[in-house]
Amino acid sequence: MGRYLLSKLGQAIVTIILVMLVVFTLLRFMPTAGYFSKEQWKDMTDGEKTAYLRNMGVLDPLPIQLKNFVGNLFHGDLGRSTVLYPNSPIGGVLAEKIPYSILLNLISWFVAALFGLPLGVAMARKKGGLADKLGTVYVVIIRAVPSIIIHFFIQVFLSKWFGLPMLFYMDQPISWLLPTFSMSIGSIAGYGVWLRRYIVDEENKDYIKFARVKGLPRRYIMWRHVFRNAIVPIAINVPSDFLLMLSGSLVIESMYSIPGTGGLLIKSIKAMDNPMVQVLVLMYGALSVLGVFLGDILVSFVDPRIKLVDSND
Amino acid sequence: MQKKIFEAKDIVIKFNLRGKTLTAIRGASIDLYHGETLAIVGESGSGKSVFTKSFIGMLDKNGWVESGSMVMDGVDFSKYKTEKEWLAVRGKKIAMVFQDPMTSLNPVKTVGEQIREVITWHFGVKKAEARKQAVELLRQVGIPEPELRYKQYPHQFSGGMRQRVVIAIAIACRPRILICDEPTTALDVTVQAQILELVKKLQKELDMSVIYITHDLGVVANVADRVAVMYAGQIVEYGLSCEIFKDSRHPYTKALLRSLPQLGVRGQDLHSIKGSPPNLYKQITGDAFAPRNPNAMKIDYLYEPPFFKVSDTHYAKTWLLSEQAADYCRQMEQQEEAEDPIPAPPTDFSAAEKLVQVKGLTVNFKLGRGQFSAVKNVSFDIHRGETLSLVGESGSGKTTIGKAILKICHASGGDILYKGKSIVGRLSSHEMTEFRKNVQMIFQDPMASLNERAKVEYIISEGLYNFRLFENNKDRQEKTARAMRSVGLLPEYVTRFPHEFSGGQRQRIGIARALVIEPEFIVADEPISALDVSIRAQVINLMNRLKRERGLTYLFIAHDLSTVRFISDRIAVMYKGQMVELAEAEELFAHPLHPYTNALLQAAPVPDPDIERNKKVVVYDPSVHDYADDPPIWTEIRPGHFIRANRAELDAYKKHLEK
Amino acid sequence: MDENKNLAPETLPQELFSKAEFHEELLEETGFSNYSYWRSTIRTFFKSNVVKVIVALVLIMLAYTVIYPMVTDRDPYTASLSAKEWNLPSSREHPFGTDGVGRDIWARVWFGTRTSLLLSVAVAVFEVGLGVIIGALWGFYRKLDTVMFAIYNTLTNVPSTIYLVLIAYIMKPSVFTIIIALVATGWIREARWFRSRILALREADYNIASICLKTPARRIISRNVVPHLVSLIIMDAALTIPASIGSEVFLSYIGVGLPADLCTLGNLVNQGRSAFLVYPFQMIFPTLILCFIMVSFYIIGNKFADASDPKNHL
Repeated sequence: MGRYLLSKLGQAIVTIILVMLVVFTLLRFMPTAGYFSKEQWKDMTDGEKTAYLRNMGVLDPLPIQLKNFVGNLFHGDLGRSTVLYPNSPIGGVLAEKIPYSILLNLISWFVAALFGLPLGVAMARKKGGLADKLGTVYVVIIRAVPSIIIHFFIQVFLSKWFGLPMLFYMDQPISWLLPTFSMSIGSIAGYGVWLRRYIVDEENKDYIKFARVKGLPRRYIMWRHVFRNAIVPIAINVPSDFLLMLSGSLVIESMYSIPGTGGLLIKSIKAMDNPMVQVLVLMYGALSVLGVFLGDILVSFVDPRIKLVDSND
Repeated sequence: MQKKIFEAKDIVIKFNLRGKTLTAIRGASIDLYHGETLAIVGESGSGKSVFTKSFIGMLDKNGWVESGSMVMDGVDFSKYKTEKEWLAVRGKKIAMVFQDPMTSLNPVKTVGEQIREVITWHFGVKKAEARKQAVELLRQVGIPEPELRYKQYPHQFSGGMRQRVVIAIAIACRPRILICDEPTTALDVTVQAQILELVKKLQKELDMSVIYITHDLGVVANVADRVAVMYAGQIVEYGLSCEIFKDSRHPYTKALLRSLPQLGVRGQDLHSIKGSPPNLYKQITGDAFAPRNPNAMKIDYLYEPPFFKVSDTHYAKTWLLSEQAADYCRQMEQQEEAEDPIPAPPTDFSAAEKLVQVKGLTVNFKLGRGQFSAVKNVSFDIHRGETLSLVGESGSGKTTIGKAILKICHASGGDILYKGKSIVGRLSSHEMTEFRKNVQMIFQDPMASLNERAKVEYIISEGLYNFRLFENNKDRQEKTARAMRSVGLLPEYVTRFPHEFSGGQRQRIGIARALVIEPEFIVADEPISALDVSIRAQVINLMNRLKRERGLTYLFIAHDLSTVRFISDRIAVMYKGQMVELAEAEELFAHPLHPYTNALLQAAPVPDPDIERNKKVVVYDPSVHDYADDPPIWTEIRPGHFIRANRAELDAYKKHLEK
Repeated sequence: MDENKNLAPETLPQELFSKAEFHEELLEETGFSNYSYWRSTIRTFFKSNVVKVIVALVLIMLAYTVIYPMVTDRDPYTASLSAKEWNLPSSREHPFGTDGVGRDIWARVWFGTRTSLLLSVAVAVFEVGLGVIIGALWGFYRKLDTVMFAIYNTLTNVPSTIYLVLIAYIMKPSVFTIIIALVATGWIREARWFRSRILALREADYNIASICLKTPARRIISRNVVPHLVSLIIMDAALTIPASIGSEVFLSYIGVGLPADLCTLGNLVNQGRSAFLVYPFQMIFPTLILCFIMVSFYIIGNKFADASDPKNHL
């Protein structure tokens, strides 16, 4: 068990470092205009610009930039925003926005599990039944139609039909309804379809047949054996669901003007605020890696076999 | 006669498969008496499993009982529609043990939990009490340290131990009937004997009736009071065990018993059943076995025979028992009264060229971070023209040796010489071509060893292409056709895909693929163990014939000593990566020295109830060897008979041989 | 079935109790089954009526998108100077109406569909192709494991949208950019998926048989491995198409998609969206076509995946 966790932790750390490298390298290709505020870009001469960039360290060789960035990171210095919040420390900007995003993500994930898991069970219970058919239609629509379009229609129509606010207001809990709903519908479909598949797979296993031969009632087998086993791969997927939701929140936060980090990323990309983009992408990367690591820990609790076997697969 | 406790009558079971309806069980009936053991014997596809599964409502979703009745305690189960109704039957009245213990237990629940839940559910007792009973059950099925084992997960148990757990669960509610569906097929021979013994013990203790479903006539001889033989969805003959084995009447039963490799006579062809069991998609008229029976009568093709009585307990479904067939039977008997064939004397190959020399071979595999030695310091020679059999249980390293000789896996230590030249390490391209051209392999599983997406023509021509063994396309086609004919298949079949053939046919295609390039040495990795009993003889005869005609040399890998006796010139016994004994075949059977060889010989089921009944299970315990101060060495104890033993043991063995 | 045919009559002619002819050749036919993988796959695939209808509609639509731009004289890019032509509702002249500068939406939709389909087909080809090749190498050479798993973790642990946005942002907006961005983020999953398939195939006995016969690796791959992957490749490609179109829409929304003056479904939907509250049809029509394409390819891909699994050949 200890070794399993250690190896997973090592993997997570290596991944974070690699992600950082990749993102860093990618960002070096970004237009350098993103390092200037609008006024600076207009007023500075080319020579001044180069000097400015050199001063920022942007023209240093990659390893040195990385070293500086990581060094600053440990001192809690994330750099300064250029365009969106000219010259404000990014750390401060994020500290304001992070709570919104975390809250929204957690609530949505909870809602997704709350509706998604029962949907999966209902679909699997009677294959080809009404619940299965309706569920399948739902899943196909949610997964096939681009999520942006769905989110857009939710915002436009549901707000009209139910008289809900179209934008997010911190002090109006009712305005949280639509964004949460938008964010969770994708994951509900995901949970439903995967749980259904795992349950159906489990039901064909020999040990489930053997449990029936034992004379155990169907309900008992369903919950204590089938569901218990089918939830294991779901647990592995919890962190990647989280990833999906993160990417969902990019759009949704900007649609509902939620002052969270997802909306911020979109905004800073549109505004070409390079330091901001850099920190945000790295933050999302680190969070995701952490999610995967948590998933691995979770699995070792649900599946007794993990304790013995170390494998990459 | 004892009380009848279960009666299945005229059961017809149908399945929906690929848009068609097929009849898997075509009117089968069976009675079960109190306390008896009934064995249902049949090949794959005979419907034996489906038939018994219907007794507890466990048919697959696309199958249903069309007609017939299954009565126990005056209740007809065949009328049951819902799972709920079956709950009263399953576990309490009828319990079942599946074939593969590796998949019968839920991997994420402890073994104890899986036993306890049955007890709690059926008897409604408190958790602590149920736990106590569960531990007691584990003890009863012979699991050491049951308290500790209770808390463990299935992956911490060996195959044999898992099957014991499965049996413990099955008997937890004191069922009156226990159905064992090939309970030992997935297990090693020595473990098999222990499990059979356990079921016998439990049967007495719990006063159960047991139904065995098996294709292994050795197991049947060991356990059964009565035997029912199934073929193509019908029971064709049933009777007491001795009646079936000594006085079988149905041509299928007769042929099956005579085709067993255990009964083979050296130098003679095995009696073989031609063809394959019928495809149940097709309408079967008359006696289903008739097309494969060279002595079938005209009526066999026209009408289905009724059951004829042989004795009060013995019935057979064949027209041969009709009064009108008396004349025909007499004719047949006269034909058959040939002399018993005399076994050919064993051939001594020790003077022949040493084709393969294995010297101190060691093969290591990576296992996680550690290393695992599949083969440890093994040495032996194979002479040109002989058949050397490597016998051992799973994990003994026998297949690894074969693969090392074939250069499919790397030797970690020692040397392998082929025709005097080392083949370990890198060979030049020319040497490699020469080697591959002469050494070929036959595989265990005919389903996995042919590429499903290639036509038979390509599969067989593969070697011809690689070694450019043909002049033009016509020549290649002729060679392919000749290879097909030599394994008894029509050359026209080359345009078909492998999945269109049955298991035995596929195995022969695999042989044709290896033989078309005319190799001189063949490694045959359990070539018959995945095949149906009636097909095995065909393949063995084919291999023997090719050996005679082409002077082939075989390394024959097997897990069961008795089946290789008559085809082997010499036999080597493997245990956990080491070779423990090697001798000429008859010598090994006459004077087995190593305790493991003895255990293996004892465990191998023999299709004769008289022998099987009086057999004692010998368990090999490696701790009998005291190798701490006196390490074992590979010694030739008498000419041609090698054994792994230390000095003290050698002295004891020598004394034993002198007696 | 006539069960009675098998029942024997009361009295039987003695002649029947004599030896029948034995046909050894016919025997081999008893085990013969006429199962064929591709036939069964196709049959299972077309068993559902939904699939029949969808495949037919997709074919018609494909034909139309290919033919329409060739025969029409309407230019989807020509704006009208006359305000009378702007924001027209659906009519005989303009089946989907016109947009804010009087361009015919019907024409724009079909030109857009063509662009989007071409784009997604290109992505599917490159992504699946790259995935198969790299997955095959990965599966055959265990040494690549460390490197490939590092790449895999790096690329999949971060939501692919983030990489997508980054790449699209860094490079200039063009069809080429989108293809690169989509392939760069998608190939690794394909590779991993094909690797696991190939690992399973690699260990198969028939490959060992081929090695024993000294079949060159090239032919082992082309004859023993690839034919088993064909159905997976088809399925994957079918599912990559809607995914790429979806990503294109997403990127257009964020503002890093294709140049706004190019006709693509993503741009059309996005442009319609801004006018949605006043002229809903400008968004609804392109969206309907878009959804139809996405849903049909999604269903086709999934149904084909089911049909290609021999377990479902019942």
